[in-house]
This record gives sequence, structure tokens and C-alpha cells, in this order.
Amino acid sequence: MAVVIGTLKNARTGEPFPNVSIIVDDQSSVTSDAYGNYSINVPAGKHTFNIVGFGIRETLLNIMVYTDGKLNIDLEEQMPTLKEVIVSAARTRNIRNVQMGVSRLSIAEIKRIPTVFGEADILRAITTLPGVKTVGEASTGFNVRGGSADQNLILFNESTIYNPAHFFGMFSSFNPEIVKDVELYKSSMPAKYGGRLSSVLDINSREGNKKKISGSAGIGPVTSRLQLEGPLAKDKTSFILGARSTYANWLIDLLPEEFDKSKASFQDFNLGISHQIDSNNNLYLNGYYSRDRFTLNEDTLYTYNNRNISLKWKRNLSKRLQGELIGGYDYYKYQISSEDNEVNAFKLGFDIRQLFGKLNFAYFQSQQHAFDFGLSATSYKLSPGSFQPVNDRSYVIPDTVETEYALENAAYFTHRFNPTNKLAISTGLRYSLYAYVGPQQVSYYLDGQPKTEDTRNRTTAYEKGKIINTYSGPELRVSVRYAFTPDFSVKASYNTQRQYIHLLSNTTAISPTDIWKLSDPNIQPQIGDQASLGFYKNLRSNTIETSIEVYYRNIKNYLDYKPGATLLMNDHIETDVITTKGKAYGVELLIKKPVGKLNGWVGYTYSRILLKAVDGTLGNLINDGAFYPANYDKPHDFIVAGNFRVNHRFSLSVNSTYSTGRPITYPIGRFYYAGSERVLYSDRNQYRIPDYYRTDFSMNIEGNHKVHQKTHNSWTIGVYNLLGRRNPYSVYFVSEQGRINGYKLSIFGSAIPFINYNIRF
Amino acid sequence: MQIKTLYPIAILLLVLVSCKERYYPQFQTTPTGYLVVEGILNAGNEPTLLTISRTFPMSGEGGLVFETGAMVTVEGSDQSAKPLTMTSPGNYQNNNLNLSAANEYRVRIRTTDGKEYLSDFSKVKITPPIDSIGYKANEDGVEIYVNTQDPTNNTIYYRWDFDETWQINSMYESMLIFDPGVAPPVRPRILPDEQITRCWKNDRSRSLLFASSAKLSSDIIYQKPIQFIANGSEKLSALYSIMLRQYSMDKRAYEFFDLMKKNTESIGTVFDPQPSEIRGNIKCLSDPSEIVIGYISATTVERKRVFISRPAGWNFFQSCETVVVGPDSAAHYFGNNIYVPISEQPDENNPAIISYQSGTPECVDCRARGGATTKPIFWPN
Repeated sequence: MAVVIGTLKNARTGEPFPNVSIIVDDQSSVTSDAYGNYSINVPAGKHTFNIVGFGIRETLLNIMVYTDGKLNIDLEEQMPTLKEVIVSAARTRNIRNVQMGVSRLSIAEIKRIPTVFGEADILRAITTLPGVKTVGEASTGFNVRGGSADQNLILFNESTIYNPAHFFGMFSSFNPEIVKDVELYKSSMPAKYGGRLSSVLDINSREGNKKKISGSAGIGPVTSRLQLEGPLAKDKTSFILGARSTYANWLIDLLPEEFDKSKASFQDFNLGISHQIDSNNNLYLNGYYSRDRFTLNEDTLYTYNNRNISLKWKRNLSKRLQGELIGGYDYYKYQISSEDNEVNAFKLGFDIRQLFGKLNFAYFQSQQHAFDFGLSATSYKLSPGSFQPVNDRSYVIPDTVETEYALENAAYFTHRFNPTNKLAISTGLRYSLYAYVGPQQVSYYLDGQPKTEDTRNRTTAYEKGKIINTYSGPELRVSVRYAFTPDFSVKASYNTQRQYIHLLSNTTAISPTDIWKLSDPNIQPQIGDQASLGFYKNLRSNTIETSIEVYYRNIKNYLDYKPGATLLMNDHIETDVITTKGKAYGVELLIKKPVGKLNGWVGYTYSRILLKAVDGTLGNLINDGAFYPANYDKPHDFIVAGNFRVNHRFSLSVNSTYSTGRPITYPIGRFYYAGSERVLYSDRNQYRIPDYYRTDFSMNIEGNHKVHQKTHNSWTIGVYNLLGRRNPYSVYFVSEQGRINGYKLSIFGSAIPFINYNIRF
Repeated sequence: MQIKTLYPIAILLLVLVSCKERYYPQFQTTPTGYLVVEGILNAGNEPTLLTISRTFPMSGEGGLVFETGAMVTVEGSDQSAKPLTMTSPGNYQNNNLNLSAANEYRVRIRTTDGKEYLSDFSKVKITPPIDSIGYKANEDGVEIYVNTQDPTNNTIYYRWDFDETWQINSMYESMLIFDPGVAPPVRPRILPDEQITRCWKNDRSRSLLFASSAKLSSDIIYQKPIQFIANGSEKLSALYSIMLRQYSMDKRAYEFFDLMKKNTESIGTVFDPQPSEIRGNIKCLSDPSEIVIGYISATTVERKRVFISRPAGWNFFQSCETVVVGPDSAAHYFGNNIYVPISEQPDENNPAIISYQSGTPECVDCRARGGATTKPIFWPN
């Protein structure tokens, strides 16, 4: 047997081509990885490599293999001026891949999905996938298979993004012009990822054109975008630069009236440099910066900020062994300040920093056996809150909640085993070790008693660097695939996950003031497991993909809050939280037609997520200790995303979504107190707001496709919420002038037309 | 060039996007009837008044249900027991409890259905006096605020409520009154007893007002807004007065009011906390899980009254005009209160024929605008 390895590259720009299939002798196929690398095990002799993939011209190579060797292949792009070629033979990735519950969206697909104001939005696109939901239109946080929004690991070029949203959560903070692709793992998470219970969203940016300077610019109603890329050293080093800025203040006027007198602005910047040291060594540097500023009703200023930098060194250690070493720094902070009342003028800040290193290896032994293994380490420094006077006239007492430190280390090992062409087994084990580290004052409470001020029996001060407590445990990642025929397979998987960092939020949507909390002696890590089973069948020579996936999940130690909990500036947060356990289950149906004049998908999900307060020592349990639906429990969810290419220059997209209204805590009665009628709430989340239904429409108009002209331009014109439905975001009752008034709040209460102009050069 | 022209087009295409509509309760809720107790134990030499009512269903016209016939006792840690007696439905009063700062007090309520409710013991707190009440005026209206402080740093948590009174003036001063006993049925008004030019209206605070200095280096409350009067409101058309009462409370009481406010007043934005169950410091002895709304504190009360006169540029106006009513129609117009006579207007040619300058009740009779003509005793001039 000989090993043939190499890289698939774009012949025009020199960028690697991921997710391209090489079909060997019409029998087996391999797919290129995120760097365009492939590796094939064949006996010496004559072979045909048929290379097919989305956006490339089909390439057939006749190869004589003598021994192990390297073969880089330059591929031609499928230019839109050419007659369409239906790529079908190779589109069996969904059948053959051993992983299940993986959704991949290319930026081309993302851009086809109509969004508010026509800004291509990665997180919005993700929420059109089965099993992914959001609580409402003003929230970019998303919920995967019944997981809360903080249970998603959002990686942008290996960096963790803590706040992926701009502008009250209405836009995602990733510039679509520099994103290459997006992958969401919602069930079988590869063992190299960990630290979150529900999903991994892996966003990668492009490497940049290695041959010539090029770029694009876009203008839309909310943001302007600019992207520039090109070689720093031809064929060796390239850069890509992205910037977005907003002029969204006018948009505020369109928001609900409580936002009157508000102001908002945001920016984000990306820089990527990739450098090829030699044929075996590559370096990638990525930087990301995003900034938001908004003033709610004149006096309170909110700012938040993501800063991330990562460096990756990828090396082919041998023909069979590939390694990558990644280091980076992530920073997220926000600040709220108010100077309206000079005695109370304050600024409140939160920040989290993490320093991480990852070492990953992939060893390709043979067509039957392959191994992934590696290590990762993360050091956290989290400042839960600092409350400071703004000036000397303020009487505010400076107060700081003690900074928290922790280390999270993990080692993983995965064995990918293909005993026959039909059966594939992937067995992964991840072992994570978490340590909460001093300096810190830790309070301890009486055993078997609710954690309150009265049951606090001692406080211990730990010195710097002292390990206060540790949590550790194995995480199992097993999946099996059996392909009965080349176009039908069954997959099953079982996963366990552990999460050591928690988002503290008692609002429905992720709010700008949510903070994160590290696990400590009083707050245990969240632990989850998930079993899933899926059936995958491709029809019509693989031009239609269908699948059914069912899953069941358990979640332990998920945090919920006592009524009236104080989350900000709380030195003893453990006295305000309640440990809950959750169960989630569902079935996801998907029919997808990825190619052709008419393409798109239809998805339906039935899912439930129920939580239950478990700590019996707590006296009054939420809903008397019975299971209750989580805020984002929306059992029925139906989506159609379609795109019709009328011709090469003109295409239409329609996106339609229906879901059950989310649960709300509805008043059970009224009472009279302090001069006003008021409402009384009791059981949590026992009613639902009306169902949600929305249809969006957009048209893409390309300029002419003459290959040699200097610029290419395109227009996107469309309507968000075409039917103008007033989908409720919330229903609430408020006491005004002594009376109770009920209101239904819709974020986008009418049809919103939009237009965007893009230029490529 | 294309780019430049595009932006205005995009704006023009946009229409109002978000909206807030009225929503009416759609779910049947059970007629619950949980106990609601409001009031404080007054530690000064003043009456203590507790109001006891029941919760009522969300939908339907059913309103406030007072709890009558309950046995209400204030118990001291010194084994004292003083009764409160019902003075009107739901109102239970004791004219002077003579509470002592050395003891703690609680309330026991026995309702007619045989259930017994007991509050937690509460320490007696002393409320510091109100420093000042001021206001800020801008084109939106007038915001009234309070300043207060406790030099001993003992209060920290403050609560307020108020009564407000305002004078309204009729556009025209009526010198005549309709009197069917005389002919023609109009005679001069007996002033000031029959005056209808100046009236007084009143209201009370309708939202929860409280503040904390827990995060400040001194026990100071600075410019805490207590009332906002929108520009053009009748309340400041002549003279306005507010009587503010200040109470001190403990941290748990503050949390109780804070949660009640979050649940019932500051709700409706995208980032609000979820509403949640509210509990005070009163429990049902036979069923501790039964919901009881209320928080019993023992404290002294401080009061302050201020007057605010009509600010310059206040947008209040009435649109009025006078009509002349002839002697033959007087009985009809004045008797049916369609017009109110203001003054006599003799005919130019025949001064013996008296017509009447008159106006609509809204312009002449301030009682038609909901006012009462009795001047409050605290009112100046």
C-alpha cells in the first residue's frame, strides 16, 4: 500500500479547497480537510482520481502510483459564465461521513438566505437548520437541541467568541466577506472540541488570494463592508483584511419606543495572514476585533468589545502524521456607565480573558485506521464585576468582585476505524481536568442546607496559585456508521460533555449585561450526554439528500435563578442560583437539494427541553420541583429555504419559517397594592405566546460575467417578513397609572424591504 | 456614483418596523383569592392602618375584594398583643400602637375561613426626615424628586408614597347661579360658598417608590424621581402640591418591593428579567406554601409637603368661548346644565331685557372637570 497526500488548491488564487471529494477508481472517496489536504491509501499501480466538489470544475486524473508520494492539485473554479455541470456522483458525504448531526454551510449558501436588512448573517443562517432555534428576533444567541445559548462553543479561527452579536443581538459579529465556511456540530462533537455541552460552531475565515490583490466592498442599509486580500509574497504569504462599520442610528428610531433617544454604533475588523514556510510548514495568524457602543435612553452607555488573536503552526511531520500547534488569547469585556445622577454616577465593568494552547495530531495509518490525538490547555482570568464612581462628585463606593482564575486542560484520542467499506466506527475519548485557582475567598455552606447567608459557615482565603478544587472526568465520543448501499446509511452516536463556565442570565434573550461564571467549590460543572440515531438516504443520483435524526439528551447542573436573583456585583452568586437538571429530546427531518437550478432545503423539528429544580434542600422549588419547559422550548419548527436560479445573473430566494410560540410565565391573578392594580405570577413558563410565522424573499442580480473586466458587481434586493406579520416577541402586563395594561411586543412588525450593493475587484 | 445614490433609496424604502400592540388576557386563570396585606406598623404616635384584600382573576370585571371580619393582632417580642379593628371593609386600624424600639413586632391575622397568617418579627426602624423635594422642568414636563439622608448611616433602604393635590381654575368666573325658585331662574351667586371657579383634585402615588444607598459611601439619596408630570397636564395648570411620606425599611423589604416593581412596572423591554413568584414575610401557618403577598415592617414615618406653581411655558390650555342665552331659553339651557350662566348682558336696545353670557360646564364649572370646590385646609390663600 502507498500513501498519496497533497493539497487541493484554487489555481487562480492559490487558496486551498476544503470539502472536495476525490473518488478513487470509482470505488472509494476521500474528502479534503479544512486546509485542502487529502490523504489516500492505494496499492501501487494505475489509478484514476476523479475530483469533484462545489464550485470547482470536475477534474479527472490518471495516476501511476509507485510508492508514497505527494501530489498537489490545482483546481479550476467553476466560473459562472460556463454551462452548469451537475455535480452528483461525489455528493455522498452525508452518507459516508461517520459523524452525524453536522451541518456545514458555505458562505455562498449563507448569502442566499434572506435576512433583515439584507446583511448576510452567519448566525441567522445557522438558525435555519433543523435543531437550531432562537428565542426571538432580537437575540443572536441560539439554542441547539435544547441547549441554552451558553452551551455553544463559538470558535472563529480557533478563538472563542463570547459575544457573537452586534446591536442588541440583531446582527452577528462576523463579516460575511471574509468567512470561508461554517460548521455546526450538534450531536457527535469531535473529541478535540470540548468545554461546552450543546454544540460547536466552527467558523473559518479565508486565507486570502496568494496570486494578486483583490477585494470587495458592500453597502447595505445598516453596515458598509470592505474586504481586501492579496499576496505579501507571491504564492507564499497572503493576507486578508475585513472591516465593517455601521451607521445604524437612524435604525433606532424604528425600534420599540422604549429605545427612543438611544444611539448605537458598531465596528468589527479581521486580519488574517497565512504563510507557507515550506511545503511542510504553514503559519496562520488571525486577529479579530469587534466593538459595540449604545446608549439606552440618553443616560446609560453600554459598550462591549471582543478581541482575539491566534497563531497556528501546521506541520506535516511525516507522510502519515500531521500536526498543528495553536496558541491564542481571547478577551471580552463590557462596561455600563451612567452619569445622569451625579451622586450615583457609576461605571460597571466585566471582563474575561483566556490564554489557550492546543496541540493536535492526525495520524493516517491506512484506509482502515486513522488516529487523532492531542492536548489543550486554557487559562481563564475572569473579572466578574467592578463598580466604580465615574468622577469625584460621585458617592459610589468602589466595589470589585474578586477576580477568578481557573485552568482547563484536556487530552483526547480518537480512533477512526473502517473495517469494511460499509462500516465505520469512530471512538473518541476526551479527558478534561479543571482547576479553580487562587487567589480567592471561597465561602462554604452547611451540608444539606440551602445556600444562604445564614448557612454560610466559613470563608477561606486561598493564596495566589493555590488550587482550590478540581473537577475532572472522561468525555466519551462514539459514533458508528453502516452504509447499506452507497446512498443509504444508518448512524448512531453517543457523546458526553462537560462544561466548566456558565453564563448567568435571567433574561429571555442574551442581554448585554450577562456575565460568565467559572465553576468553583459551590458551582459544579454542567454535565451532559446525548444519544442519537440517524438515517440518511440520497435520491436521484445524490442530488437530493434526506435524513431523519432522533436524539435524547440529559443535562445536569444547569443553573437557573431564584426569584429576584441579583446576578451583577454579587459576591455570593451561589446563594442566588438553583441547580436544575434537564432532559431534551427530538426528531429532525431534513430534505435538502444542494444543487441544481432549484436548490434549498425543507426541515421539520419536533423537540422538547424540560428543566427541573432538583436541590431538595431549597424550600420553595420552581414549580414545586416539577419539570417545566425552558424559555426556548418551541416544540414544532418548520423551515423552507429555497433558491431558484433563473439564469446566471438572476436568482430568487425564499425563506419561510414556522414555530410554536415560546413559553412565558403568565399571570394567575391580579391584586391591588401601592395604589395600583398589579399582576401575580406563579408557575414558570406554563403558557405560550402565539406561534411564529415569517416569510422572507430576496433577489440576487449579478452584473455581467465577462471574465476580464476589472470589477464585478451585484445587487441584493428583498423583503424581510414579506407578509408583514406582527410576530410577538413577548406578551407582558404592566401597571400604568394604576391600571394593568397588556401588550404584545413585536420586534419587526411589518415587511422590511432592503437593498444591498456589492462590488468585487 | 452608484453607491452614493443608493443610501437615500434604502432609507426611503424602510418603513416603521417594530410595534407594540394592546394584548388582552386570553387564558382562563383560576379565581385564586390569595391574601394581600399592605401597610406598616407605625412606630410614631400615629395610627397604624393595614389594608387586607384578596387577589382576583385576570379576566372579567371583578375588582378589588376586601377581606372583612379578620382578627388582626400586633404581637411584640415582649409578649404584648394589640388588636387592630376594622374601620371600613378591609381597613384595620389602631390609633396608637405605642411600639417600643427595644422590641420586635409581628402581625397575626385570623381570617373568617379559619386560616391563620403570621408575619416574621420586624425590628423597629427610625426614619430620618426628608431633606428636600425639588423638581426639574424641561420641554417634556416636570420631574419631582426627593433628597434625603441619614447622617447615622442606619437607614440605607428608603420607601416613599405620596398624596398629590392640585387646583384647577375655570376659564370664566361665574357670578350667577341657576335657581328654579326665582323668576327668571337666575340669581347672583353667594360667594365664596357657591363659587365654581376654583376646584381641587387629588390623587395618590400609583407606582412603587424606593431607593437604596447600599452602594454609596454615605447614606444619601440624591434626586430620586418620585413623580413626573407631562407638559400640558392639568395638574400644573394653576398650583400643585405633593405630600410625600418617607419610610425606612430593611434589606429584605427592599428586595420584596424591588421584585414587585420588576414584575409589574419595569417590564416589557427585550432584556427584562423573567417575571417570577413574589413572597413577602407573611406565611399561612396551616399551609406554608400558600401565596401571601405583603411585607410587614415597623417604622416611624416622615412627611413633607411642597407646592409647585405653574411653570413658564406650561402647555395647558382650554378652548372656550361664551354664548349668549336669551331669557326665554335660560330655563332650558341652565336647567339641563348645557350651559352655565356667567354674567348678565342687557339688550343694547332695551336694557330691561336681560340675556346671559354663559359657557359650557367644562369652561365655567370646575366641578364638571372632576374637582371639588372645598379648599383643602393646607392650601395657601
